[in-house]
Amino acid sequence: MLMTRTARAAGLLGGIAIAAAALFASLMFGHIPVSVADLYSSVVAYNPGDLEQLVIRSERVPRTLIALAVGAGLAVAGVLMQALTRNPLASPGILGINAGALFLVVVGANLFSLTAPTQLIWLAFAGSGLAAMLVYFLGHEPGRGISPIRTVLAGVALTALFVSFSQGLLILNQERFESMLFWIAGSVSGRSLEAVAPLLPLIAGGLVFSLLLGRQLNLLGLDDEVTQGLGLNVAQIRLLTGLMVILLAGTSVAIAGMIGFVGLIVPHIARGLLGTDHRWLIPGAAVIGGALLMGSDTLARLLIPPREVPIGVVTALMGTPLFLHLARRVGQKS
Amino acid sequence: MSKTLVLRGSADRWSVRIQPAVLWIGLGLASLLCLSALVSLSLGTYPTTVPQIIQALSGSEDLSGIRLILLEIRLPRILMAILAGGALGLAGLLLQGLVQNPLASPDVVGITSGASAAAVFTLWITGSAGGTPLLVPAAITGALLVTVLLVMLSWRGGVSPTRLVLIGVGLAAGLSAVTTLILVVSPDATAMSAYIWLTGSLYAARWSDVFGLAPVVIGGLAVAIAVARHLDLHALGSDLALSLGSNVNRQRLVHLLLAVVLAGGAVAYAGALGFIGLLAPHMARRIIRTGHVGLTVISALLGGLILVWADLAGRVLFIPRDLPAGLFVAGVGAPFFVFLLYRLRRQS
Amino acid sequence: MIYPTRPSGHRSPVVLFFLGITFLCLIPAVVAGTVTVDHALGVATVETPPERVVSLYQGATDTAVALGIKPVGMVESWTEKPMYRYLRPYLSDVRMLGLETQPDLEGIALLNPDLIVAARNRHLAIFPLLEQIAPTVVIEDVYDFKTLLSVMARATGKQAQGRCLLEHWQARARDFRSRIRKNLGDAWPTEVAILSFRADHARIYYGGFARSVLEELGFLAPEPHRQEGWGIKLTSQESIPAMDAETIFLFMQDDPAVQRTYRSWTAHPLWQNLKAVTAGEVYPVNPVTWNMGAGILAANLMLDDLYRHYRLPDTLPEVLDAC
Repeated sequence: MLMTRTARAAGLLGGIAIAAAALFASLMFGHIPVSVADLYSSVVAYNPGDLEQLVIRSERVPRTLIALAVGAGLAVAGVLMQALTRNPLASPGILGINAGALFLVVVGANLFSLTAPTQLIWLAFAGSGLAAMLVYFLGHEPGRGISPIRTVLAGVALTALFVSFSQGLLILNQERFESMLFWIAGSVSGRSLEAVAPLLPLIAGGLVFSLLLGRQLNLLGLDDEVTQGLGLNVAQIRLLTGLMVILLAGTSVAIAGMIGFVGLIVPHIARGLLGTDHRWLIPGAAVIGGALLMGSDTLARLLIPPREVPIGVVTALMGTPLFLHLARRVGQKS
Repeated sequence: MSKTLVLRGSADRWSVRIQPAVLWIGLGLASLLCLSALVSLSLGTYPTTVPQIIQALSGSEDLSGIRLILLEIRLPRILMAILAGGALGLAGLLLQGLVQNPLASPDVVGITSGASAAAVFTLWITGSAGGTPLLVPAAITGALLVTVLLVMLSWRGGVSPTRLVLIGVGLAAGLSAVTTLILVVSPDATAMSAYIWLTGSLYAARWSDVFGLAPVVIGGLAVAIAVARHLDLHALGSDLALSLGSNVNRQRLVHLLLAVVLAGGAVAYAGALGFIGLLAPHMARRIIRTGHVGLTVISALLGGLILVWADLAGRVLFIPRDLPAGLFVAGVGAPFFVFLLYRLRRQS
Repeated sequence: MIYPTRPSGHRSPVVLFFLGITFLCLIPAVVAGTVTVDHALGVATVETPPERVVSLYQGATDTAVALGIKPVGMVESWTEKPMYRYLRPYLSDVRMLGLETQPDLEGIALLNPDLIVAARNRHLAIFPLLEQIAPTVVIEDVYDFKTLLSVMARATGKQAQGRCLLEHWQARARDFRSRIRKNLGDAWPTEVAILSFRADHARIYYGGFARSVLEELGFLAPEPHRQEGWGIKLTSQESIPAMDAETIFLFMQDDPAVQRTYRSWTAHPLWQNLKAVTAGEVYPVNPVTWNMGAGILAANLMLDDLYRHYRLPDTLPEVLDAC
């Protein structure tokens, strides 16, 4: 862990460098070989007639941007969730937010025939919000704040619930089922920038706001009595944090479907490097999350061409061993 | 002071406490179960009345068409529902006691995910959208492998419930990603079949399946009753249980193993129906407050009841389509479950 | 006695005559008794001729109609529910048995059938149950319409009809091959890709019904498409070059989300650059006959499309008139 302020600043800059490298790789690699010159021209002197430049602009740039935004959004949402629930193993996937999004998307597509991309995005967003509120409500013990293990279990139970209903609807309508599979698996490709343009600023806004909340978040880890003694309005901080979680996680899931583990693992990596001060943790997590997802997307493209491995699977394959390693260290006193 | 009956084995190696009230409730539920089975037997694409059932079964008239339907199509399916539902209800109770949390279920420790991943993988590899004889052994193997992994990873001088859950959740999430990957690359019919299996379905249950699961469930029930008193002790907290002479770690393992065998077996035959393991013990607790022997029997009976009715709904509501029972379990379970969680919140 | 179970390819008139005589001699035996039929999961003993036939998959329904049989029960079609339009005239008052992947077992039992036709990779799990209801024949692969034809013809006692259909098909295939070779000259054989579009992805077919028919007719698959498996799903438009071939046949459902995806993919410059697109060789075809029907009638309809498409004279009689 980096102790001094300079070390942390250096670490953060290093992280940004890695993210830049991941960005570069994401733009360079894919089914169609492109050269660095193509990349340069597509930025500086764009010629739509040139196939390589076109591919970069129309295919690679959108997915790179989406991966960056969604990766940062999920990672920071994870940090916020872990602070809010005081549970180092909280994340959008585990707490049922993904499942809530899935549920409303499936309901919308099946029962109300809402299949346009923009409609699905807003449905997912609403579903995430619904699930987040339910989990918060169920995991909250009156008088004692939020219980870590309760929230995880509430999340698991809600996930089971939402997933069962979604499965039911999908089985009744086979054609919808086929078209939902990729969304369920998670994907940053196939989304046009026009469709997601209104949502990317939301993520950016959420990230900035979370940065500002950094100091208050440091204090959420303390017991309610202590923080009230310090004169802070705990309920207000919790509410704001919760809203940021819904904003970041919900938007991310709405854009890219169910991508797991980013919100879980990245906060831990960031914590390992930068400590528990949220003023460093949040930018660190954003940078690492963006780099991770861009890297995963690149990998997803390169494994089984011309197909792509769904990105949620890549993050799960990378994330599960890490998660298990972390989970082993929890609850050492039985 | 409520009356209790105590049955003991020789040299006190085992003992079982039962309240007479519980016995009556148990008998009542068992009768309800039989009645439900009868109702289910009489409904279907071709509704048969009870006299017809008796005639067909006793073979007095040659209603061979109906006889076939009753004996080979409906009856094995109903029995499978009772067995699988009962097994899941039991497994859920054991896991909730193990984890000391009422929100635990077979899903939580990754049993369902392990079985699901193995089953979906088998369907994909064999290219059988229609199921294959390999499905059941594959699913059981998956459940067992995950449990072994779970115990190995969470054993650190002992088995902490918290760690167990967290590792189980992690394994479940990872396996779920694998399952999704397979669904995505499969041809449509295989993907749909796999998805139906994942929802939990008793379609085409056969007598060989019933004979495969019955010994597991009956044996499991017997063992569960025998170790039920330990669950009572653990509910007091592990420190207290230890001081009362309970070998907490070993018993935890026994409970886990029992839960895995029961849930794994049920899931292998009936699909990923872990939700029953969440519902049945809760409903049981609303009927009788404490006493794990009673809870054990009643959870099993309730689990069977839930699945028999869910299966019936799937069979008759959308004829000629046969919808998976898992759908209706969720449909019935959801409102109850949300209500339950709300009450839990208020209670603590 | 020689009794052919799998009709082979080319036959000389002498052999045909001999077989005809043999068959005539057998008619009394066949009409009165039973026949044993080899199929993918064993041997079935069917009382011939079976009057009540149940079809448990699309291809079997198609083949039943071709053999002049009206099934007493059939499973739903995947689209154009409850049964494909090209088969509707022949299938009034047939009892529907639910989905191909989960047929209504009670319904099947209640129909009291004499023969059930199923597919291995759909109905393996329920096969023991089906056998208890009625003699059941199982075909290994849903796309293998020729084995299906010969097995069903044998099981239903309509070998003559079956043989006629098969020979008619082979005659048409020969005719097509010679005409297209003359028509295209050096450009023959052509590399053909088979694509389809869905609501959020596109597909390339490596195997399946359409591919097998096209192969029989002499068409080739582009090198990257000569792989095992049914095909692949593509989610990124960057992979469009993988779809390329000299000619592209594509199909899709009439659904707004699907149409949206189709328009978006075909508007992409990578699509415009494909060999087939620049040569103007991209043709939408009917998904029902090219992908879902999977029987001898669907195969004939597919061949009709190809005759029409390549503007070759189609002089042989219609399949249902010829047999």
